[in-house]
Amino acid sequence: MQRLRGVRPVKLTTNERWDLVDAIAERTVTVGTYRQTIGDILGELTVKPATGIPVAVAVLYAFWSIFGSFAGTLVTDGFMVRLFDDHWLPWLQAAWPGPDSLLYYLAVGDPLAETCFEAFGMLTSGLFVAIGVVLPAVLIFYLMMTLLEDSGYLPRLAVLMDTVLHRIGLHGYAIIPAILGLGCNVPAVTATRILETRKQRFMMMTLLAIFIPCGAQLGVMRDVIPDLVGPVMLYLICGFGIFGFVLDRIIPGENPEILIDVPPYHWPAWENVARKLWTRTKGFLKEAVPFVLFGVLLVNLLYLAGVIGALADLFEPLFVTWFGVPKETVGPLIAAFLRKDLAVAQLSTIAMTPYQMITSVVLISIYFPCVATFVMMLREGWKQMLAAVGVLFAVVFVYGGLIHAAGILMGVA
Amino acid sequence: MARSSLSTLYVGLLGLATLASGLADILVWAGAGPGVTFGILEIAGGDFFRWGWGGAVMVFGGLFMLSGLTHSGSLQQSAKVLLGAIMVGIIAGTDLFALFCESVPAGEGAPEFFNTASGFLGGIAPPYSPAILLLPCILGILYLIGRGEPDDA
Repeated sequence: MQRLRGVRPVKLTTNERWDLVDAIAERTVTVGTYRQTIGDILGELTVKPATGIPVAVAVLYAFWSIFGSFAGTLVTDGFMVRLFDDHWLPWLQAAWPGPDSLLYYLAVGDPLAETCFEAFGMLTSGLFVAIGVVLPAVLIFYLMMTLLEDSGYLPRLAVLMDTVLHRIGLHGYAIIPAILGLGCNVPAVTATRILETRKQRFMMMTLLAIFIPCGAQLGVMRDVIPDLVGPVMLYLICGFGIFGFVLDRIIPGENPEILIDVPPYHWPAWENVARKLWTRTKGFLKEAVPFVLFGVLLVNLLYLAGVIGALADLFEPLFVTWFGVPKETVGPLIAAFLRKDLAVAQLSTIAMTPYQMITSVVLISIYFPCVATFVMMLREGWKQMLAAVGVLFAVVFVYGGLIHAAGILMGVA
Repeated sequence: MARSSLSTLYVGLLGLATLASGLADILVWAGAGPGVTFGILEIAGGDFFRWGWGGAVMVFGGLFMLSGLTHSGSLQQSAKVLLGAIMVGIIAGTDLFALFCESVPAGEGAPEFFNTASGFLGGIAPPYSPAILLLPCILGILYLIGRGEPDDA
């Protein structure tokens, strides 16, 4: 390239071009005998359904097991709960002046609270959710995600999921925004650009906003309702399939076939892993922490102004009769627009049956996307965003009612 | 992996043991029996994720190892055996990681953050899940595959 600099471009004939191709190929291509390795065969086995699906089941098991052990057991339960509940909260309650003042209520919350979840102040619940629960969850999620991506497993998962996702009008690559969405919906919305047609991008963006809970929400769910995470996820997966199928039938547009380039397996380069992890976590922190703190502040102000009480009374028939959940869940639903993880944490302080808790968490998940995701959707086009919101309200109403009906049929609602 | 009858027998027995462990995990979780503790072996069975889902992974791992026994000696079949071994390794690895994560922080109510050395060692002491107990044998498979010359390469 250095030698070509400053050389005037020359027009070549077809024969001359082919001669040039031959000359380059002679210098750069080494011809040898292909010798299949066990690594190549492992690569093939992980894309064949008979062997690939069990491997995917094992990989997802490892993913969630490590996620739960690190974020839940080790960091949050092992250290953060103790740090915030035994040291930070008592110190703040004692040090902050005027337990009856408005500022105390907004910053520290309930002066008699024994845990940060109960206190619900900006510097108690807000910081605990952001730093104590969400940060470790997001960190380990992105580390695992990066390892799968850089080792070459993610494209294989895309091949494996292609047939299933084609049934709802998407293709294998849709698994990438779906898995990214389990970390944070914001980059996942951008990742929908990987899909070919406008129809597919709209469908994926809508399904992401409704049915894929983010890592922060999963972290809080794992911490406050560990026994109910399975049923909640089951409802969300079923909803993803059912409403994906319906959207595919009613939205005009094409679902083209694609070719997926599958690289060989390789060890991830640790430098790349560290860089990706840092970039993703930094981006998340910049968005999450202010929103969580602001969310707590806003919800507290709305409570003080009586807005949430009025909304709870207004929507009581819908919530109690149609969704089968207590009217107090209106407050968390408003907080969910700012941060869904915060809303789930708030739900944990409301008295309700396990089935009502499942319904409420599913409603929080499928209800309006958090404001950061909303902004990203807006960037993708306001018409698409408005259409997605329209679909979203219809889905919340229909699916929320269906879950209540299922509970009545099972005798648990 | 050029297979001698001894290594075939080894893989076969390990495949059967893995399959049986996976089925036992699932059965205990499904309530067919109470949690099992036998010496240093324990199947607690209370949690779907570990014993239901994890048990299914063990079953698949055992089946892969057994399916790798037919036409033994080919690289394709060795890869299946290796895949089975990796799946057992995944369960064992995550079990060990979970033990580690439970044992590092001090117990509830303790004033300090970190566990004592004796508390930590007590936390990672037996009984263990079947996958952890099978782990040394799985390393044997890796050794057999690593040293063997493939027949059809």
